[in-house]
Amino acid sequence: MRRFYVVLLLVAVAVAPVLAGGQRQAQPRAAFDIDANTTLVIWADEQRAPILEDLGAQFTARYGVPVTVQQMGFGDIRDNIKVAGPAGEGADIIIGAHDWLGELVASGIVAPIEIGNRVNDFTDSSIAAFTYDGELFGVPYAVENVAFFFNPDLVPTVPRDWAEVRTVSDRLRAAGQARYGFIRQEGDPYHFFPIQTAFGGYVFAENPDGTYNPNDVGIDNAGSIQSARWLQEMVTSGKIPGGLDWDTYHNLFETGQAAMIITGPWALDRLNASGVNYEIAPIPGGGRPFLGVQGFMVSAFSDNVPLATAFLTEFVATADTMFTLYERGGRPPALLAALDRVQDPALVAFGDAGRDGLPMPAIPEMSAVWSAWGDAVTLIMQEQATGEAAFTNAASQIRSTIAGN
Amino acid sequence: MKRSTGSKAPLGQATTGANRSRGTEVPEPDRPVQHKFFGDSLARVSVRLVLVAAVAAFGILFMWTLIANGRYPLAVLVFLVTAGVCVSFTVERLYPFRWFSPGLALMAIMLLYPTAYTMYVAFTNYGDGHLLTRVQVIDQLERQTYRPEDGRQFTWTAFRSERGEFVLWLQSDAGSFLAEPGEPFIPADRLPNWVGPLDTDGIPTEIRGYTRLNRTEVLRFLTQISALEFGELPETVRVQSLDLVEERRQRFVFDPANDTMTDQRDGTVYRPVTGTFTAEDGTTLRPGFWVTIGPRNFQRLFTSPALSGPFIRVFVWTFVFAFFSVLLTFTVGLFFALVFDHPKLPAKRLIRSLLLVPYALPAFISVNIWRGMFSRHFGLISTTLEAIFGWSPLWLANPVWARVGILITQTWLGFPYMMLICTGALQSLPNDIFEAATIDGAGALRKFWNLTLPLLMVAVGPLLIASFAFNFNNFTVIDIYAEGGPPMAGTTTPAGHTDILITYIFRLAFAGGRGADFGYASAITMVIFLILAIITALQFRYTRVWEEISENV
Repeated sequence: MRRFYVVLLLVAVAVAPVLAGGQRQAQPRAAFDIDANTTLVIWADEQRAPILEDLGAQFTARYGVPVTVQQMGFGDIRDNIKVAGPAGEGADIIIGAHDWLGELVASGIVAPIEIGNRVNDFTDSSIAAFTYDGELFGVPYAVENVAFFFNPDLVPTVPRDWAEVRTVSDRLRAAGQARYGFIRQEGDPYHFFPIQTAFGGYVFAENPDGTYNPNDVGIDNAGSIQSARWLQEMVTSGKIPGGLDWDTYHNLFETGQAAMIITGPWALDRLNASGVNYEIAPIPGGGRPFLGVQGFMVSAFSDNVPLATAFLTEFVATADTMFTLYERGGRPPALLAALDRVQDPALVAFGDAGRDGLPMPAIPEMSAVWSAWGDAVTLIMQEQATGEAAFTNAASQIRSTIAGN
Repeated sequence: MKRSTGSKAPLGQATTGANRSRGTEVPEPDRPVQHKFFGDSLARVSVRLVLVAAVAAFGILFMWTLIANGRYPLAVLVFLVTAGVCVSFTVERLYPFRWFSPGLALMAIMLLYPTAYTMYVAFTNYGDGHLLTRVQVIDQLERQTYRPEDGRQFTWTAFRSERGEFVLWLQSDAGSFLAEPGEPFIPADRLPNWVGPLDTDGIPTEIRGYTRLNRTEVLRFLTQISALEFGELPETVRVQSLDLVEERRQRFVFDPANDTMTDQRDGTVYRPVTGTFTAEDGTTLRPGFWVTIGPRNFQRLFTSPALSGPFIRVFVWTFVFAFFSVLLTFTVGLFFALVFDHPKLPAKRLIRSLLLVPYALPAFISVNIWRGMFSRHFGLISTTLEAIFGWSPLWLANPVWARVGILITQTWLGFPYMMLICTGALQSLPNDIFEAATIDGAGALRKFWNLTLPLLMVAVGPLLIASFAFNFNNFTVIDIYAEGGPPMAGTTTPAGHTDILITYIFRLAFAGGRGADFGYASAITMVIFLILAIITALQFRYTRVWEEISENV
């Protein structure tokens, strides 16, 4: 009887590989019969996926190359491609933000692409954002940045600079016209950056070729310190209340209790719904907001890099498609032909505000900046440190973190 | 206490038949076992065999996939586990193992292997910039090409034959050529007779046997065409994009004998240094690959500014947080458990169910709600206090009150669990000693301190330790409440007043889009694990004191 069990086990051992047989043939790159199994797999977020599915269907109908669109959360795409790409199971094309490039390029996850003269069809800053170490790694589709919002019932003309923002705030409060003038969220260095640049501050100095120099940190340069002092005065004099979160400061603006804020296109829906009277202007004092550029990247593990690139240049980078993507996403397009067609005054205004914007640094050193910088802004707003002390200390924290890694 | 009876009875002396049926003991080796099989019904044997076969088949399938993906250690483990399960279900002598072999199998796969793997990863540089294997990196580098200085560039038009062969018509300022794979270029003035005259764009109107592909048709074959080299070596071109073919040469050549990568463009030699091909002058190639780097991750942790800066303050608060979390949740939980122990409480079940709600809600929802209630301008708690006292603490911005707020939140989250375990433990307390105490004239308080609490501690002590260990690493609550904030001023590394060890190091090492450094993360995990293991061991020693007390009761 025991022998019976052993025989049975042997049979199981013999049968299992047959059952598993399909697995053996799935060797990546082994087959050269490309025609038969060429497919394009695209990973996109829920807003973009339906548009790409339509395009994919058209592409399949015309060229016989099947296109599969897989939907996943925008942020998940970055994490998943890092695992699935090297395992040979990732997408050919992914949607992503330009500031992922630092890690994706360093890890060899995305491939440089060649789009020839088509680079001239896009805004300069969006191409610059997707260029890493002199090579282009993506086809941009949208640019986002913050702008200066003001309530024209309370502030008839746009302040020229941040000193004027301060006097306007004082005047409004003194006259009892509004509870607050300019307000902002506690912490949040992203929205503070345009104020900092208006005073001449910076995060990383720009090299002549437009890349960032991680060894020149500007969080404690004269301009940055000045912006910190400005913020400190606004807070200690009570003009900017402490403890505001993102929701609250929008709420105060929507109810007319605050006259000026800095925010991005993501807030347009709720501002329009609130019925508040607002106008959008470039950052006072020539402040330069961060630009976030979204685009399509091609996986380095794709067997069809030229085909994927051609799909992007021929099918996606057209005025019609880019305009559809804009209508869905509500961000100014990066393709000039589509940008020209944008009528919405709000988005045109965002485009103006972002004209001199700086692409958010994609270099890995940027990660050392966020928490130290954010803490510094928070400490000023919680009145736990002076502007000068907070920013000087943040800069030294950042330098030691960069040196330590 | 009752638990010491029975288990110490001598083994193996009882009659084997009775023991077999209960499945608690190993049959004696010299006893014939065959008849036991016949004792089982045929149906039971066959069902068992089918299940064993299914397990074996599944295990082998799993192994096969793992081997195909190059995961050999895990494949070996899966083999051992599957074999173990199958053997324990087929070999009669291993009968007792049957019932816990699935448990052992799961423990090996889900617990031991990941732990061992984490230890291994802690000694590697696996992470962003080093995600790929050495083979993948060499492959990727060897596929890189460059355009030589005199390299030519053309625009191109493709022609395709019935049999799926391609020829390209190349055009540039320097002239036009016909290019076939493996054949020298044919200039436009020496075209053979099977190529027709040129049209106004300078492209042959006809190539016999081939059809011209227009820009949209060519897409269908782009992957095939771009895999081909056109022309005769060394003068070949390759399709780079829809607009461009270029003369390209392989840029990097790997020499397996010397383990070096040579840049063909300028002859630079790169050698692998801790997973990165590095030249003499320090320039490196990306991407890097994944190698073991010895204790470097641990060195990095122990020499990092993180440990010299606000580390001690963070470490102390971690203990305070974990200790008070346990103390407060236990106190509140025990209080409710005692209240519900009272037989005359009305609507007991309903209230008890409602009290379990905090336990049932996901922490990331409830902590956000608490955070909202503590919010300075619109928060329910803040505005209420403001209305009553004209003052409310800054629950999120003040260092002390932020900590108090977190402990309140944590207590709310954790007390139902403590209430549950205390309720259970209270019911198992022997009644007779309480009666004896009452007869001896002890009051309720005295009974609680001298009887209930010590006896309860025997049962729940280990759970309190587990709770301490959990809260020591309670990332969720700390991170959602205020992301470790409010920040400390003037520290050498960014840190917050409510940061515990794990959130502090997480923010330092990974937050802000730093990406993933799995090797470093594993090293940190191991160190924190070690700290916790020591604390837990000490605490278990301490709880033995309670057991001794209970034995004296």
